[in-house]
Amino acid sequence: MLIAIVGHFLLAALLPVLVPRYGRAVFAVGALVPAATLAVALSAAPRALSEAPPVETVSWAPELGLEVALRFDALGLAMTVLVSGIGAVALLYYACYAAYERAGIGRNAVLLVVFAGAMLGLVLADDIFGLYVFWELTTLCSFLLIGGDGVGAAERRSALQALLVTTVGSLAMLLGLITLGSAAGSFRISEIVAAGPAGPLTGVALVLVLIGALTKSAQLPFHPWLPAAMVAPTPISAYLHAAAMVKAGVYLVARLAPGFGDVGVFQVMVLGFGLATMLVGGMRALFAQDLKKLLAHGTVSQLGFLFVLFGAGTRTAAIAGMVMLLAHGLFKAPLFFTVGVLDKLAGSREMTELSGAGRRWPALAVVTALPAASMAGLPPLLGFAGKETSFEAFLSGGVTATAVLIGLVTGSALTVAYTARFLWGAFAAKPGVAPVRPPRHAGFLLVIAVLALAGLLLGPLVSALSPLITGYADALPGDPSYEPALWHGFGVPVLLSAGVLAAGYVLHRVMPRRPGGSLLPGWLDAQRGYERAVHGTDVLARRVTGGTQSGSLPVYLGVILLVFAVVPGVTLLAYGGVPDAFRGWDNWLQVPLTVLVVLAAIGVLAAKRRLTAVLLAGAIGYAIGALFVVHGAPDLALAQFLVETLTLIVFVFVLRRFPATFQQRGGHGFRNLKAAVAIGAGCFVAFCALLFSSLRTADPVASQQYATRAKADAGASNVVNAILVDFRAFDTLGEIAVLAVAVTGAATLILISQRTVHHFEASDEPDRERPAWQHALVLDVFARALFPTMLLFSVYLLFAGHDHLGGGFPAGLVAGLGFVLRYLVGGSTELSSVVRVPPLALVGAGLGIVAVIAVAPVAFGYPVFTSATASLSVPLLGELELASNLAVDVGVYVLIVGGVLDLLRTLGASLRPSEADIVVEAGERR
Amino acid sequence: MQHFLAQGGDLTVPDINYAAVLPVLIVFGAAAISVLLEAFLPKHRRWSAQVGVSIAAIIGAGVALVAYIGNAPAGGITTFRAAEATGGALAVDAPALFLWGTLLALGLGCVLLIADRSVEPGGAFISQAGMTGATQTRIQAQVTGMQTEVFPLTLFALGGMMTFCASNDLLTMFIALEVLSLPLYLMCGLARRRRLLSQEAAVKYFLLGAFASAFFLFGLSLLYGYAGSVKLADIANAAAGTDRSDTLLFAGVGLVVVGLLFKGSVGPFHTWTPDVYQGAPTPITAFMAACTKVAAFGGMLRVLFVAFEPTSWEWESALWAVAVISMAIGAILGLTQRDLKRMIAYSSIAHAGFLVIGAISLTENGLSGTLFYLLAYGFTTIAVFGVISLVRDSKGEATDLSAWAGLARRSPLVAGVFTFLLLALAGIPLTSGFIGKFAVFSAAFADGKAVLVVIALVASAVAAFFYLRVVVLMYFSEPAAEGPAVTVPGAFTTAAITLGTVVTLVLGVVPGFAMDWAGAGGFAF
Repeated sequence: MLIAIVGHFLLAALLPVLVPRYGRAVFAVGALVPAATLAVALSAAPRALSEAPPVETVSWAPELGLEVALRFDALGLAMTVLVSGIGAVALLYYACYAAYERAGIGRNAVLLVVFAGAMLGLVLADDIFGLYVFWELTTLCSFLLIGGDGVGAAERRSALQALLVTTVGSLAMLLGLITLGSAAGSFRISEIVAAGPAGPLTGVALVLVLIGALTKSAQLPFHPWLPAAMVAPTPISAYLHAAAMVKAGVYLVARLAPGFGDVGVFQVMVLGFGLATMLVGGMRALFAQDLKKLLAHGTVSQLGFLFVLFGAGTRTAAIAGMVMLLAHGLFKAPLFFTVGVLDKLAGSREMTELSGAGRRWPALAVVTALPAASMAGLPPLLGFAGKETSFEAFLSGGVTATAVLIGLVTGSALTVAYTARFLWGAFAAKPGVAPVRPPRHAGFLLVIAVLALAGLLLGPLVSALSPLITGYADALPGDPSYEPALWHGFGVPVLLSAGVLAAGYVLHRVMPRRPGGSLLPGWLDAQRGYERAVHGTDVLARRVTGGTQSGSLPVYLGVILLVFAVVPGVTLLAYGGVPDAFRGWDNWLQVPLTVLVVLAAIGVLAAKRRLTAVLLAGAIGYAIGALFVVHGAPDLALAQFLVETLTLIVFVFVLRRFPATFQQRGGHGFRNLKAAVAIGAGCFVAFCALLFSSLRTADPVASQQYATRAKADAGASNVVNAILVDFRAFDTLGEIAVLAVAVTGAATLILISQRTVHHFEASDEPDRERPAWQHALVLDVFARALFPTMLLFSVYLLFAGHDHLGGGFPAGLVAGLGFVLRYLVGGSTELSSVVRVPPLALVGAGLGIVAVIAVAPVAFGYPVFTSATASLSVPLLGELELASNLAVDVGVYVLIVGGVLDLLRTLGASLRPSEADIVVEAGERR
Repeated sequence: MQHFLAQGGDLTVPDINYAAVLPVLIVFGAAAISVLLEAFLPKHRRWSAQVGVSIAAIIGAGVALVAYIGNAPAGGITTFRAAEATGGALAVDAPALFLWGTLLALGLGCVLLIADRSVEPGGAFISQAGMTGATQTRIQAQVTGMQTEVFPLTLFALGGMMTFCASNDLLTMFIALEVLSLPLYLMCGLARRRRLLSQEAAVKYFLLGAFASAFFLFGLSLLYGYAGSVKLADIANAAAGTDRSDTLLFAGVGLVVVGLLFKGSVGPFHTWTPDVYQGAPTPITAFMAACTKVAAFGGMLRVLFVAFEPTSWEWESALWAVAVISMAIGAILGLTQRDLKRMIAYSSIAHAGFLVIGAISLTENGLSGTLFYLLAYGFTTIAVFGVISLVRDSKGEATDLSAWAGLARRSPLVAGVFTFLLLALAGIPLTSGFIGKFAVFSAAFADGKAVLVVIALVASAVAAFFYLRVVVLMYFSEPAAEGPAVTVPGAFTTAAITLGTVVTLVLGVVPGFAMDWAGAGGFAF
């Protein structure tokens, strides 16, 4: 069986090569594989009907338990016959039909063969994943077939509707099947059905599976996709309606009925929706003008009928279901074929435009009347046998059964009525309408006749099919003696059949000839429901996107901060709350400083000018530095003050390139919102800091060790400096390396953006006369006087660092600030007279000094970064203790000075008006 | 004279298993060589040298990886281990080897896309992210060959990703995170076309990424405070049975996971994704979408499995919600997108949600399923972006959906390949996407997360809609009158697209070998 399925796909792959050569004859070639499959299936029928039907398995992904298992049993055989037989005939019909509709021959041939293969796989698959795979494959094929080449909007819409509705259903089905499978402990369908797991979860799973079946078989309330799908070429519609796609849902119900037929929710859903669909479909068919639409609604109705029969869960109903399944395939396909013939040869399929076709081409009328009679349930056709048995099945007398019976009888009467209407509409001579004169075409006639005759012959011979039919039905409870037969003798079913025929005929007679509209109110229209659902999803999605994905960085950041603050914040409050030991302050000086920090922070939020914001941020920094002092950390405070000062100056350099005020977007509300988010996030972080630091359970070992071992291990009294140059000397090396890279990188980037490299050489720029007002005399003098003092102070800090307040880093910053001062008063000319070395060379030198001092001890046989101290007495200065790792401080010092100079060179370059600025200014003056 | 050595004793060289880490060393070594080539080679010879070095490095690393796998110990090893320590800084175990293999293979595909000069004459990149639109046109006029700065950046990012997946402690992980992130920030801003969009993307990615890194670091420090160690195994041990403060632990877990979720573009930390995917040069978008996702989830799996497993009861519900949010955001917002790259970005957010489902199913199947999903998703994504880069009009890539209308009429092959790839993203059977989804969902299902699986299936259905809408558009619409042309790709892009497509197909039809490999073993620590 696997070979048959693969054969379909292989042939489909081959067909595109043949299309250019053979044209529409490729359909005949395509029919070969389904025909061969039919032959193989029939020859293998005895094995399929035996006690142990053949099973084939192919392992797909054994790690996941994924395998393709095929099982060829009675139901599988019946479906295979239908799928392959009708598939072959439909392809042959298409070979004739394509003479009149040439568009898309190649792709439709390929897709139809793939479709047949997928459908074959679907009905044979015994594992739920194989079933799902083939199920989706049929969805895709029908989507592509319905959509055609996609030129028409109607085709596109219909194809998409079919796809959406059935895909949503199939996902529900997959979930339901997986649930059923895990409840039964196996993913084999046969084993799930045999185990028949029970429980509340099973009920939910069955509902999900049935949603899949209902959508696929176009049952209420999902039915509109099927009538909409008739925009496809007629051979495709015929195959879709008679054997493939929609039959999959019926097949699934039939497959599960032996295991779950007695479950309440299964019965309620299948019987309820099936009956309602049968009635609504029949009614809609009766009101249709378009013959094809009439048949499409008829299919919906018949599928509802089949649902009821298979879902009833009794043996007799199952027999009726099997007979009707075959009968429906055999009558629906030829009826569609006839519509296609009329459409192409007579030029219309509207019953108001067709007149006299029967008189013109009686043979066609005859071969169409046979399947139509089978649809209406006239003896001795197969449809009659099915209808008789189905009445019999619900005669048992229970309330439910009687209600179902009434529904079936009504539905059947509707069927008779729309069948009569179909025949009348297709062939009758209508007064006032010009008779059509279709050319007679023997090929079409032959194809239709094959199926019509099959329906006619199988009627009397239905008892010969008994092994096939009961082979499936025996799995269900009920009277085991009932056998399928055309004639069961006189009884209630015969009377009901007669009544149905009479009622149907009367209904047809009293129907107005040109009805319009429908019996249902507009709001109940399922098509409108579908459109609203799709449209609603679209609108919702667009609104949500517009609201959340604005492209604004503050919004994005706000979302992240909110999530960050709200989710863990609420959790933390719920879990931990405020720490027990809570002190307001250690020293009263902390209070005003903290207030200052908070006020400055609020001021930053409120600031309108960038410079104000930067100055306020600087104020925060200084206040924090002061907090360090109060806390007893002068080293830290010194570094903080110096860094803050330098940052402020750098900021001012940068801010010159920006507009003076912040550009506000979104008005006050947005601004307040941003402020609220910022304050909230800040409060959360503060809360975290408080909470986490209160959670310390052990004393910090490392800090204490540093303090106690500073003198002994590093020979230093200043613990901070000992940490920097001794304990964590490697870190310092790494950090200054990063600093060097960052300074180089930043300078390079800035210079690139300016696209001109400025050096400190005085010759670089013409010695422009500065206007008198630009000379700030006091500052000038002050800066020149202060500069040597600052340098000297920095050298003091450098040497004192090992034992007192200071170190390489603050010393470098002090020296750097000295240079900044000179630069402010004199610009780059002034600076270049002081420093003659390129700043980046200083940066490199600083890094080099540290690296050398790191590895130097190795030469003396000591480990890396070993330091030595020696005391020497210097006149005037007294006893001076020199440590070799002072060189580390020196390296840092040089590097920092170089870095500051480099920043001045690059950022300060813009202090001189560039050409662009001059142009802009000139423009403004004009 | 006195001698001091405050650093504490002799430095010991950590124990390094060079065979195990050779792939990473090769990639980083090649990155360093690549920088030197950029500095010293004349401009016209750089492209060939850089492409050669990059491809040779990735293939060489792949060979080293395969050679190591041949005789790797079954349970995995940890290496870079200090003498007295219990576990090394890097764990070279089955998941790490799988992720390395995945990253190298995906990296090869991305390098091929990046190296292409025929689709966009002169390559898709400029030399500096800081360049403005005005200078770019002048530069472009002078351009003789492709700008090649992107190659060392790619290699560094790739090396960082490989280290990230194998990090056995949070500090190594953080450094690897930065090593992989910084080049990416830069690479986002290198697009030759649409400079402003590209720069905006880079700035957004950088700023938000910096926040995420800060979260990670903050969480790391809290966890260190909790456990007294940054080693994943130590954190797990500390959490398994002590009376330490849970507040520190949970806050730390939360912050570290937020950092990881950001990198994996999982909602609600996804906000950067659509803008960055759209703005970055398409080959870089492919690199980010495929490789970054692999690395982020590789790291997340390791952290969740090794470090946070004992506390899974507490954080599981939070990640449960994250998965739902991510899937919902990806699927619903994806519906409205008019730009293909943005659409794929939302799809990646939805996929991230699916991956979270696998990652929080702390079972063997959850691990192997997630690993397989990453492999499958990565290849599909590379091929998707490869195809996107082909459809161009006079202004560069035509990523607006309307431009793709009727593409099948003009270029059936491209449309066919793209359709297949979209079906794979949607998870249609016979593609790797289906197997991946199946593996992840079934693992979650077996782990008792049925409701989550239901939500995931619904999200898949919604997401399938927007993929199929593109298919419908390509096949069933009239082509626009002045629509874009499909560029005939050069050998490199063709190779990348073919690689992605073939792998997507092969993993969908015969997933056995990859599933075997993904399930070869658990984490070592």
